[in-house]
Amino acid sequence: MSFHPAMDYGRGRHQSARALPEEGEPFVYTAENRATLDGILAHYPPDRRKSAVIAALYLVQRQQGHVTRQAMRHVAEVIGCTPEEVEEVVSFYTMFYTRPVGRRVIQVCRTLSCALMGAERVTEALTETLGVRPGETDAAGEFTLVEVECLGACDRAPVIGVDDHWHECQRPEDVRALIDGLRTKGAAALTGCHLRVAGDTE
Amino acid sequence: MDTVTLTIDGRQVTVEKGKSVLEAAIAHGVDVPYYCYHPGLGVDGSCRVCIVKIEKMGKLQTACSTTCTEGMVVTTASPEVVAARASVFEFLLANHPLDCPVCDKGGECPLQDFSYTFGPERSRMEFPRREFDGAGVKADVDFGPTLLLNRNRCILCTRCVRFMRDVEGDAQIGITDRGYGSEISTFEEQGVISLLSGNLMDVCPVGAITTRDYRFRSRPWDNAQAVDTICTLCEKGCNTTAWLKAKPEWAKGARLVRMTPRLNPDVNGYWMCDIGRFDYHWVEGDRRVLQPHIRRGTSNDAAPWADALVAVKDAVDAAGGPASTFFYVSAHASLEELYVLRQIAAGAGGLTLAWRYREKPQPANTKFRIPSVDAPNVRGARDLGFDVGDPGQPADLSRMKAAVDAGQVKVLYVMDSGPDGSIGDVDWILAARQAGKIQTLIVHAVLHTALAEAADILLPASAFVEKDATYTNMDGRVQAASRVIPPPGDAVEDWQILVKLGVVFGSNLSFASSAAIREAIARDFASVPGYAGIPSLAFSRPVPAKTWLQGSNPSERWKWDFMFQDLPPVKFGEDFGPLPRADVIPLKEVK
Repeated sequence: MSFHPAMDYGRGRHQSARALPEEGEPFVYTAENRATLDGILAHYPPDRRKSAVIAALYLVQRQQGHVTRQAMRHVAEVIGCTPEEVEEVVSFYTMFYTRPVGRRVIQVCRTLSCALMGAERVTEALTETLGVRPGETDAAGEFTLVEVECLGACDRAPVIGVDDHWHECQRPEDVRALIDGLRTKGAAALTGCHLRVAGDTE
Repeated sequence: MDTVTLTIDGRQVTVEKGKSVLEAAIAHGVDVPYYCYHPGLGVDGSCRVCIVKIEKMGKLQTACSTTCTEGMVVTTASPEVVAARASVFEFLLANHPLDCPVCDKGGECPLQDFSYTFGPERSRMEFPRREFDGAGVKADVDFGPTLLLNRNRCILCTRCVRFMRDVEGDAQIGITDRGYGSEISTFEEQGVISLLSGNLMDVCPVGAITTRDYRFRSRPWDNAQAVDTICTLCEKGCNTTAWLKAKPEWAKGARLVRMTPRLNPDVNGYWMCDIGRFDYHWVEGDRRVLQPHIRRGTSNDAAPWADALVAVKDAVDAAGGPASTFFYVSAHASLEELYVLRQIAAGAGGLTLAWRYREKPQPANTKFRIPSVDAPNVRGARDLGFDVGDPGQPADLSRMKAAVDAGQVKVLYVMDSGPDGSIGDVDWILAARQAGKIQTLIVHAVLHTALAEAADILLPASAFVEKDATYTNMDGRVQAASRVIPPPGDAVEDWQILVKLGVVFGSNLSFASSAAIREAIARDFASVPGYAGIPSLAFSRPVPAKTWLQGSNPSERWKWDFMFQDLPPVKFGEDFGPLPRADVIPLKEVK
């Protein structure tokens, strides 16, 4: 039963131009990830479970690489909020991807300190080396290049992140060498960092 | 009450402890602009236009998020504040399309009002404006069954986000993306699906959220009059304002163009539901009963009132007198109508009150619960001694159905002054009539419903906005619904029909006005809380557009009570006392 009187004013003719995240396959956490999330949720009072949204989204990303609408619905259900509230978080933070990404994500900081120290030059060098523009993934599915907001190492600008590893004081020639190293030696090339954001991934 | 005294622009102001500087300023008529603050939604501090200078604080402070303290000295108009405020407005307007001439909010837009008052006279921004869904009208996108959204006009005050999260209880709206790309959105662009969605238009301080219903139907300066009344579509009794459009007699279209909520903290707060807000078109719709109709053989013709009343008398007499006449009454009947009805139905076979009962789909944690009983006066009927069962339950029709089945009901008088369907299920009456169990069906209705079509005698009644009448809401609060427009055609106020019918049923009633009936109710039911004061209930009269356009922004209707101290609130009692009736309410001088 409809409670609203019919209002036909332009119904269906006015479509939003907003790009939606991918719908994706039906999503549920693996038993292991669900157990991890339940452990995290236990840190919060029962009415504040949605505070765990970032942790929940990291687990989604670890499980399937990027966050789909199906995953957002599942996360909302698990932590007790609406899918829109999850989407707000996903779209706000640069570390959540709504489209599939390559095996390694190269993040270039573009916020003030890095920009002043030549982050744009670094991005150009990476674009040239990888053959992709910011936001794109190379044909082999190996690297995704993204520009992100402050990575929190402004004293050592410009900073780039390769997955969870920071590489600081990067000049254009450094990043070319880094990409070559990643191509030949893999993870062993990740040397420049003094910090790892989430120590358990590699 | 703990109070604190502070100085705002050199004026000593005393407010309740815990109030913010902005609340103190609004309450005392000091002009401070604000967008994200709304009294029903609390403080957000995101729009930054309410900045003021407070002595002993290094930087300018947002008035909405600063609590008043004793001896605080606030300046709202120093050159420093004026300049800073102007630059905030410059930024708010940096991407605003300034399409006010074609914007539905134009004329009642806080962004317009405050920009004119506090903004810079010209912008220094020379780059193209950011566009989300396209330029101009292309930017109007679907935002659920009742709303349209224009993101280009949005200033990201998040009032709609907070309304859905805090009041509605289902956070369907959010801000996606960040910084320059931030936009109001819903998951998968499905729009707002809520029974409180119309309130989003009210809280939106710009033309970003508009309702499909009111869109392009009128401009604020064409809404010549506003009348304070109450909604009667359920037993909550929300306080509302009915807006009347000025139009020549010959022009097509309705005069009643919208209903908006009016602040009453004890009943509806700042809000009303979509049912009350949008379901008013029937009042001036094509289906109104304009004249009495009498069925003779196969013809069903319009007739004068005198003939219709004679026909009712003949029908009752033919059935053997009032004892075989039964009344089936919608709980849309007001206290006055029920009071008269009680007298004329004294000798009748029986009287049953009916109403529609439907549970409204709402989130479990909503702050604005819409009752399931779709009638305004079930509580009033109980107070006047009618048997209506337990509160908040579906109507009990078993006795009436039994009487009909037993063939006792020769004449059935159905009184239904609500919209179609609000009396509940009537199929059983139609079936009984088909089966010949009811000899004569008299219907007293506002609309040509299926029941009205089947009637032998049809009497045109008036809708809730067409009469001064009182209703008791579910909490026992007696409220007045004011006459906004006259009844159409030959329709008359329901109490007049009932008084005339009194002659038929042998009760000699001599009420000359609905006020006289209220006097009688107050006399007979003085023991019921609130009823002794019924005669002093104030009915609102139209407030001319000139008055409210000068006084305050109509979409900030809640603020009128500060601005129009003389506007009679639809309240009564010791606190308020009898209020004067006036056709034109003078505007209180606003400092």
